[in-house]
Amino acid sequence: MTLSQKTAWAQLGIFGALVISWVVLFSMKGTIFYWEDETIKMTFYWLCAAAFAVLVIMNVTAGILKNRLKAVADERDKSIFRKASLWATGVSYSVVAVLLLVLAIIYMDSGSETIPVYFPLFIVIVGGVSLLLTQAITALLFYGRKVNYGDS
Amino acid sequence: MATARISNRIRRLRFDHGEMTQEELAERAGCTRQTIIALEQGKYVPSIELAFKIALAFGVTLEEVFQYEE
Repeated sequence: MTLSQKTAWAQLGIFGALVISWVVLFSMKGTIFYWEDETIKMTFYWLCAAAFAVLVIMNVTAGILKNRLKAVADERDKSIFRKASLWATGVSYSVVAVLLLVLAIIYMDSGSETIPVYFPLFIVIVGGVSLLLTQAITALLFYGRKVNYGDS
Repeated sequence: MATARISNRIRRLRFDHGEMTQEELAERAGCTRQTIIALEQGKYVPSIELAFKIALAFGVTLEEVFQYEE
């Protein structure tokens, strides 16, 4: 398993765990409107911050290792991650578009005062998490499939 | 439109070069062992640069390693 493959697994683990923790949090509150409870709201933000911090530390460490060690990642890894990033961008754009559509429908039906100020930030976070999760999943799938250099 | 396929003789060439290990070839070509495995399984089509490096590692021409079939 290459270093990039290991980071993809770790990324999947980090953000998979984050989504599971969201489900647990939302179940405790009985709704996805986590911002209605101060403790759950802060727990949600801290969990997100922790996941992104771990991702940054992991990628910085992996970057240092790739520079110092010879041939731990090569053109195939780059091709796979480029392809995975394109898929992830498409998926996260779609997720954000759907959530914005929901926002627009609420706005048109009930007016702006019914939209919580936390909702736009929630859309951004969900967009980011869906991007990173899809990138990890598609990268791991492409490691087992045929890839051409320069594929996109 | 006919589909093109690029095949290679890396496994055969490794055998001919005294059972050169995948690790050794990867080191010589400057890639990972996993890429050599993927190449041998026909799961990866490399860049022209890596193709030349692999040919160079065996001391043969590019055409002796990679074949283009239509």
